[in-house]
Amino acid sequence: MPEITGRGRGIDVKEFMGYKRADGRIGIRNYVLVLSMVHCSNTVAQRIAFRTGAHAVVHDFGCVEFEDRHARTRLGLLKAALNPNVYGVLLVGLGCEQTDAASLLQEIRQTGKPVYYVGIQEEGGSKTAEEKGCRIVEHLVEEANDQKREAVPLSGLVVGVQCGGSDWTTGLAGNSTIGAMTDRIVADGGSVIMSEVPGFPGSEHIVAERAVNYEVGLQVIDMCDDLRKEFLEAHGQTIEEVNPTPGNKAGGITTLVEKSMGNIKKMGVSPVQGLIYAGEDIPHPGLWVLDLRADGPDSNSTTGFAMSGAVMTVFSTGRGTPMGNAVMPVLKLTGNPGRYEKLAGILDFNAGVVLEGADIKKTAETLYEMVIEVAEGKETKSEQNGDFEYTIPRENSRK
Amino acid sequence: MKALRVEENDNVAVVAEDTAGGTRVEAGDMIVTAREAIGAGHKIALEDIGKDGMIYKYGVPIGKAACDIRAGEFVHTHNVVDITEELCRAYARDYRERKGN
Repeated sequence: MPEITGRGRGIDVKEFMGYKRADGRIGIRNYVLVLSMVHCSNTVAQRIAFRTGAHAVVHDFGCVEFEDRHARTRLGLLKAALNPNVYGVLLVGLGCEQTDAASLLQEIRQTGKPVYYVGIQEEGGSKTAEEKGCRIVEHLVEEANDQKREAVPLSGLVVGVQCGGSDWTTGLAGNSTIGAMTDRIVADGGSVIMSEVPGFPGSEHIVAERAVNYEVGLQVIDMCDDLRKEFLEAHGQTIEEVNPTPGNKAGGITTLVEKSMGNIKKMGVSPVQGLIYAGEDIPHPGLWVLDLRADGPDSNSTTGFAMSGAVMTVFSTGRGTPMGNAVMPVLKLTGNPGRYEKLAGILDFNAGVVLEGADIKKTAETLYEMVIEVAEGKETKSEQNGDFEYTIPRENSRK
Repeated sequence: MKALRVEENDNVAVVAEDTAGGTRVEAGDMIVTAREAIGAGHKIALEDIGKDGMIYKYGVPIGKAACDIRAGEFVHTHNVVDITEELCRAYARDYRERKGN
């Protein structure tokens, strides 16, 4: 096994032990997925996953959808399968659904991944489909366990950064620590994806100024103009009129720039390479912005990262959430020391130490070391607890 | 009492606990005395900031002083003007004009 430079000693990490995939991308896990093609096959998919230790991806779509909406369903399923953390896939369908399992199977197979299909109607019912599915998945899990890690460049590491369930410590302590970690990952040649773009207006002048070129800066400004218009249309008031909210003010936030900066702090001060959209892979390493405008649960953004090839998400929370992802470890931290003590069962890292006087950069260094440990196989709480959400993000402005 | 100054050029810090007036507040190597009660999560001025001076947090201007603010004072909506809209609008306008340069 090659020597990994500086690992665990707070110095540059240029390589880590990961899995090279047939398409050239780097995975940090060997998950086997059971993808449900339609809501009718959800529970069979879940039973197969439960019995075999695979992860199920289920959803309420896959039939009677408008074409544009169905395209998003298909993209969500395809991108789950193609994520570099996924070793192999079982598609479980009913038989008459809208989702074209055959074309999905074909597209996944082209990337060199093992993929199979089980249909409930074809197999004579749900129990027989379940039994057949279990045999296939058990075989895939055995194969996955035989894969060996090898030294891979850090340029293969793609990490999403996100926050949710925020309190007054989140922007301040949690996201500041994540931001310093982002700068370390990017400096070492890795990639970070940021989303939560509805929180950008108010700091677009900061983000655009960090763009790698004029066009990217303009994209950031245009995106924020769009978001402002969407907000005004939906609520009849400007973002500035509504923000900071009375709750924000009670928590200590004085202005919208301050609120917005608490969000974009997760990006550190690294150059912004460009914008990507749902299901798009990042074109090259560095810091990227995923322009995803889906309303809904935290899992929308996390799943958006997974759909763009992220292999891990680092998530900052104030109140605490158990959230994980079906195709990624989610490393959760809090900036709130009291919360960390209370919720150590779902949280991985205490960034609250910076409120007790610890240096943000040094704390971020320790976090970065944990990111590398997780990349090399250390399980996050989300994995230990079996929290494997996958929420295909729906956007009104883009179907 | 600890307060968090996020970036070196910030002229405010955030107190980590409810702070009574007269309390000695440490923000890294900066030490100030709170001139009034400041709730956990709220900002304290680390230096004197003149009227119309910028309030720096996260390393960037987050607003403008509505009046003279002395070191140790509570900094919030009562003494800060929210200039988000003009900052963003002015920047976007100037940015679009930069085209081709």
